[in-house]
Amino acid sequence: MKMNMTINQLPTLTWNFLKLNSVNIDEEVALNNRGNLNVEDIPAGMTVERDGKLLANVKTGMGPALDEMMDERNVETLVVRSRAGAIIEKPLILRYSLGEGDGTLRRQEIIAEEGSELTVIMDYSAGRHESGFFGIQTKLYAKAGAVIHIVKTNLLGDKYLHFDAIGAEAEDDGVIDVTQLELGGGRNYVGLEADLRGRKSSYNGNVGYLQRKGQLLDMNYYIRHLGRKSNCELNVKGALDDDAVKNFRGTIDLVHGAKGAVGHELEDTLLLSKNVHNNTLPIILCDEDDVEGTHGASIGRLSEDVLFYMRSRGISEKAAEVLMTKAKLNSVQRLINDEGTVGRIQKYIEEAFGER
Amino acid sequence: MAGKRSQVKDIDRSIYDFRYKEDGFYKVDEGLTEDIVKQISKEKHDPEWMTEFRLRSLEIYNELKVPDWGPDISGLNMNDIVTYVRPNTNMKAKWEDVPDDIKNTFDRLGIPEAERTSLAGVGAQYDSELVYHNVKDEVLKQGVVYTDMESALRDHEDLVRTHFMKLVPPSDHKFAALHGAVWSGGSFVYVPAGVKVEIPLQSYFRLNAPGAGQFEHTLIIVEEGADLHFIEGCSAPKYNVANLHAGCVELYVGKNARLRYSTIENWSKNMYNLNTKRAICEEGASMEWVSGSFGSHVSYLYPTTILKGDNSHMQFNGITFAGKGQNLDTGAKVIQIGKNTSTVIDTKSISKDGGVSTYRSSVTVNKEAKNAKASVSCASLMLDDISRSDTVPAMDIKTDDCDIGHEAKIGRISDEAIFYLMSRGISESEAKAMIVSGFADPVAKELPLEYAVEMNNLINLEMEGAIG
Repeated sequence: MKMNMTINQLPTLTWNFLKLNSVNIDEEVALNNRGNLNVEDIPAGMTVERDGKLLANVKTGMGPALDEMMDERNVETLVVRSRAGAIIEKPLILRYSLGEGDGTLRRQEIIAEEGSELTVIMDYSAGRHESGFFGIQTKLYAKAGAVIHIVKTNLLGDKYLHFDAIGAEAEDDGVIDVTQLELGGGRNYVGLEADLRGRKSSYNGNVGYLQRKGQLLDMNYYIRHLGRKSNCELNVKGALDDDAVKNFRGTIDLVHGAKGAVGHELEDTLLLSKNVHNNTLPIILCDEDDVEGTHGASIGRLSEDVLFYMRSRGISEKAAEVLMTKAKLNSVQRLINDEGTVGRIQKYIEEAFGER
Repeated sequence: MAGKRSQVKDIDRSIYDFRYKEDGFYKVDEGLTEDIVKQISKEKHDPEWMTEFRLRSLEIYNELKVPDWGPDISGLNMNDIVTYVRPNTNMKAKWEDVPDDIKNTFDRLGIPEAERTSLAGVGAQYDSELVYHNVKDEVLKQGVVYTDMESALRDHEDLVRTHFMKLVPPSDHKFAALHGAVWSGGSFVYVPAGVKVEIPLQSYFRLNAPGAGQFEHTLIIVEEGADLHFIEGCSAPKYNVANLHAGCVELYVGKNARLRYSTIENWSKNMYNLNTKRAICEEGASMEWVSGSFGSHVSYLYPTTILKGDNSHMQFNGITFAGKGQNLDTGAKVIQIGKNTSTVIDTKSISKDGGVSTYRSSVTVNKEAKNAKASVSCASLMLDDISRSDTVPAMDIKTDDCDIGHEAKIGRISDEAIFYLMSRGISESEAKAMIVSGFADPVAKELPLEYAVEMNNLINLEMEGAIG
């Protein structure tokens, strides 16, 4: 399949020399849909059905090109839905297993009915050094008072091209909670748009990443505050090693009328090699006065103070770097309520540092 | 109690909104053609290389596109702009020799008084040409050259040719190319090695003619160990047609030298301010920008610093006030190349009465930089719910050997801060005015006293009523 499309476009353009306004993808991938999806036990109060496409109007942060590509190929939609009022503690686990040369497109919609709460864990994995293409689209809709917890773990092979397009909307008091760990894949493009339409609706995003040899992580987050007293907390943290490249675009859009809205974003990047390349672009768009928008970013290697503290306790610089990277990832990992998934993440991280 | 500070009014422009006719002035036709560029070059007695440079810039201008980002500039039509207006006088060294209407203009702006009281030298540009230039004898005796660009091109041609549009090449962007084609006026400053100019030099740019463009070029070379504070002021009366300012500032800061460049920009609200400023710092050099942007209909302004030398430093303090009908896109850029370079950017913006303010910046740390540090802080204050404020800061980091910090905040005056002050016996209206005043203070305190007062006058904190 020939892909020629623009993805991860910023909601407002800036200098072209930064090369962050959008990403152009122009390449050939083999689509064979060999990737396997294993749906583990479906918790009580939740249904999983194939083909619904109920959330066609929900936009993702990756842009319409991926929607069009999936529509053209009639990619099946998996619809996960919670019953109104059901508080479902047990997570639904969707394990996507891919192999060498697989080319797979998937899409899923998760709808939380009024007053319900559900958790879906999506785990994408392949052999450590395998190549292939995996494009996934996830659309979320939290009805009034509903809570959606989503966990996404990328443990794909380090030669994989990976698209992860996420779109979300929340009604009054609806909560969208997305936890992501970006560890695998070769070239990873992640685009998330969350429209906080309802009063007191909220988005909580926690992203942890470790990118190493030849890896690229390109992120585009766009949180739109439309509802009064809507709230956003976006925390992105991780480490870059070897010749890894990371682009982070994070936009908080405080739309006119969203009185009392609060949007915070924070990025913390640890740089572990002189050959890494980090781009950070945290944007706040503000068309309303009765709001609060903040962003903060911290980028660099371990400070001399931290290193001195570590050395005084017999910890070498290299060991300190591993320790601090794990600490960043752990702070995201601890949000995942599934021992099996956490174990797979830990194993992946240990192996990654074993290669260092 | 009389005079409680409690209302932030729009900027009082009455002292700038006066105009005189251009009787007897020389003008080129409206628009931008090769013939017009040749005509300007001929009128200015350019050397051949400069004529060729202008024509090459025009070719580049015609090839480049207008920016696809930033505020809308579709209201600017180059076919309507007069690119060269020469007043009916040559440059004078005494105020009394300047024609009355031009002299009155600068008198009302307070320039001669400032020269007497607090400046080492003054250049005053009216439309496309300098009409007055003077520098104190003691500064001249130090070997400092402060003159208009045309004289510099004649008397220091090699120096100008080596530096002119080398930092900002015409290929940089469309309006840099435009500047290269039609530039006129501006100041040239050369500070020899080791010379410290104790009091500031100032150039003031006044655009009087309706539908005209001003394209002054400022070239400053501060040699090793030297020190200079240069102040730039600009204003224009308001017309119903678009005016254009596409100036260019190039600053060369030598080894262990220091340059402070302060700007109070108060163009009228029909002005498109598409200005380019860039500095390069050698080893141990320090570049300090102080920037107050209050005027213009549309602004694109991002002073850029290249920290080429080891241990070089830049500091940028800026404030932008966007009122009714204004879309001001301002900020700063820095490129850190040398070892142990450092950057501090601290900006404030205020949006009111439907004004749009955008903070845009980039911090680039190159691969060869070692132990680079950068701290960026931007704060925006919304004074009503019909205005807009955006921040678009980028950090492009190509090495691990750095420490980069960024923070930004947008919002209105916090209820907690007002409550805190009121709990100490201050009225609500006074508390709000104190907070706004304090918000602008970090920039105001970087200016010489006279200019801080001017800035405060511009912000015009009125005494009665309520904010927002």
